[in-house]
Amino acid sequence: MRAETDDLRFKISDFKKSEIANPQSEIRTITVAVAGNPNSGKSTLINAIAGTRLNVGNWPGVTVEKKTAIFDYEGVKIKLVDLPGTYSLSPYSQEEIIARDYLIQEKPDVIIDVVDSTNLERNLYLTMQLLELGIPVVIALNIYDEAEKKGFKFNTKLIEQMLGVKAIPTISTKNKGLDVLMKAVMEAASDTAQHTPKSINYGEDIESAAFVVESGIRNLYPTLANRYPLRWLAYKLMEGDEHISKEINLSGDGTFIEDAVRHLKLAHGSDIESLMADARYAKAAGLAREALTKPDTRKIELTEKIDRLVLNRFLGIPIFLAAMWLVFKLTFDFSKPFSDWIDEMINGPFKRWGEALLGFVNAPSWTVSLLTEGVIAGVGFVLVFVPVIFAMMFFITFLEGSGYMARAAFVMDRMMHAIGLHGKSFIPMLLGFGCNVPAIYATRTLENPRDKALTALLVPLMSCGARLPVYVLFVGVFFADHGGTVLWSLYVLGIALAVVMGMVFKRTLFKGEPPMFIMELPPYRMPSLKNLLIHTWEKGKHFLIKAGTYILAVSILIWFLLNLPWGVEHKKDSYLGRMGQVIAPAFEPLGFGNWEAASSLVSGLIAKEIVVGTMGEIYVEKKGEGAEDEKKESPTFIEDIKEIGTSFATAVKDSFVNVFSTFGFASISADEEEEDKEKGSTLKDVISTQFTPLSAYAFIAFVLLYMPCFVVAIAMKHEFGTWKWFGIAFAYQMALAWVVALVIYQGGKALGLG
Amino acid sequence: MGFVDIALMAVIITVAVYLLYRSLWKKKGHCQGCGSCDCDEKINRTS
Repeated sequence: MRAETDDLRFKISDFKKSEIANPQSEIRTITVAVAGNPNSGKSTLINAIAGTRLNVGNWPGVTVEKKTAIFDYEGVKIKLVDLPGTYSLSPYSQEEIIARDYLIQEKPDVIIDVVDSTNLERNLYLTMQLLELGIPVVIALNIYDEAEKKGFKFNTKLIEQMLGVKAIPTISTKNKGLDVLMKAVMEAASDTAQHTPKSINYGEDIESAAFVVESGIRNLYPTLANRYPLRWLAYKLMEGDEHISKEINLSGDGTFIEDAVRHLKLAHGSDIESLMADARYAKAAGLAREALTKPDTRKIELTEKIDRLVLNRFLGIPIFLAAMWLVFKLTFDFSKPFSDWIDEMINGPFKRWGEALLGFVNAPSWTVSLLTEGVIAGVGFVLVFVPVIFAMMFFITFLEGSGYMARAAFVMDRMMHAIGLHGKSFIPMLLGFGCNVPAIYATRTLENPRDKALTALLVPLMSCGARLPVYVLFVGVFFADHGGTVLWSLYVLGIALAVVMGMVFKRTLFKGEPPMFIMELPPYRMPSLKNLLIHTWEKGKHFLIKAGTYILAVSILIWFLLNLPWGVEHKKDSYLGRMGQVIAPAFEPLGFGNWEAASSLVSGLIAKEIVVGTMGEIYVEKKGEGAEDEKKESPTFIEDIKEIGTSFATAVKDSFVNVFSTFGFASISADEEEEDKEKGSTLKDVISTQFTPLSAYAFIAFVLLYMPCFVVAIAMKHEFGTWKWFGIAFAYQMALAWVVALVIYQGGKALGLG
Repeated sequence: MGFVDIALMAVIITVAVYLLYRSLWKKKGHCQGCGSCDCDEKINRTS
């Protein structure tokens, strides 16, 4: 394949210049839907075409992700719509219904059917159904390089001839074939009559029955004939598709359908839906046999070799635990220098600039306190953990993109059965490691209401990204040498307790057998760096949005609560302090029975990362008059800028040194690390005096387990329509958190670890 | 503390409460949890 890496970008960007020169020119818009099986490289292809123009949202009423992009290509405005990955257009799963409804109701101008070339026959099943819709289709024979490596040879001309559509080889990870693909799309859109797919013939019996149904609809229901692709509608009515039947609600005589399928039922059995599926598979298999030549000798694929180990019934779970340990170790080691850098910058130059700005506009002195001890202490301490969040999202995205996470769900299936669920429930739980809110909404993919409720109750035990700043703060103070391991232990604790609670719920609230679970394991792939970065940004940016919205809001309100009644001498006499003192005795047996910890935990009910922000505000010392003597001369603006640049470069270097040391290469900056440890931040210094290692671990275990944040509560209410499940989650999690922290602290003391 | 200080505090607190209300209650946490800040509009439209 010839290299076309730059062509597509050139055409998109080149047009923008001419559009600026001729702003009045008319621009035609075409809508292109992108369909395909899961793991066919659809997302990669869309990212490659649309890049940063991609907008990510949700399909209406569901949590299934919807990606759209609008851009200009050769004088035409293109709206690209990414449909959910599906194996077919049946009415059984949410994704399939969404894809089908979009294609029927919105009637895009062209469909790009992304086909995994390494699995042509299976992918062509969806292609058959797409062709039935009568919308021009362009097939992208994606992952073409891997197919060629396996020795596959495609006769694309034959595919085009038999189906009446263009088939374009593409390698979306390397941006190859995309320009040819877009040209074919433009051609199909510009002359739809010439590019309407050929009618697929599923055999005389089926086609005769379909003809009768078609004629009946045309004569008796002409409006339906205009709304839906007629041949497709005929097939659906023959199959007895309930979704369609309900949607069109045939009011009059429907006996023509019964008459049409009577012969089919007599000849082939009463299950017309299976008959149609068999016919489509047969067509797909036949086309694959004709158009694809595979090598004679069958090599054992690398994927299979790895899976023999990864899916082994004894090694699967230890390998999963080891993989997660590596993720946490790398996350911690890679992000720590950047977190320290942000901490220094926020408490250094940025704080000074804020104070200078407020001084310049003669703002009241309390606003300086609000800025430094409220906003900077609150939001700033949370922002320190941005590198941790992004690093974790990066490594988890890598595991997802490589195909390993599907194996994790498969491996966990056995364990999930022990708690009355199946591996499909592990997927929302995996999402919970990022944020519990989309994980709650993702339980919609579970058809059984019992599975859905049980999974939603266990999701909050999956330690979300918001809790990470709390862990990293305490781990950095007390367990810095084993940071990754301690982090890993918290996540394992959450998973282990989820298993235990699942067993309890299975015997109490949710009795019954779990349903069967079938899932596809995609081949292992090396994800492209570009896709990794795009997905990492998509997942991690919400943390930044949070910081700028409700974490900022809560930080401001916490500052007021810490300073009211106005003029209060000691923070513990403030409104927040008084509230903390009321609750603190409950935490005495857990090792952190002080008002500061209690107040921080209360603020964490809004969002868990606010625990760190609140601690920052509570422990930050007010600048007294005596502090004036200690004031050093402030650096100039230029010196600050230089310091930001040089310290960032140092952070980058230290980060890579840390990562290499994970793999056994000695750190060359061990002395510098010692220096950094001694420097620390004000909050870390105070934390080290307020907690012991044992009480610190009990505290972070409490944070891991105590009630889900307010946002999760709203998500549960929204998803289930009742506060009942949140009430149960609240009650059991508070109890569990208290008991586990108690066991850790008192048990540790008894063992002499206190 | 004068009238101006009290007024400024009231404004700041009002803005903070509004930010909290908008991001937690109105958007039901969606912007923080899901793929985009426009998803809640669509959910409200169809639910």
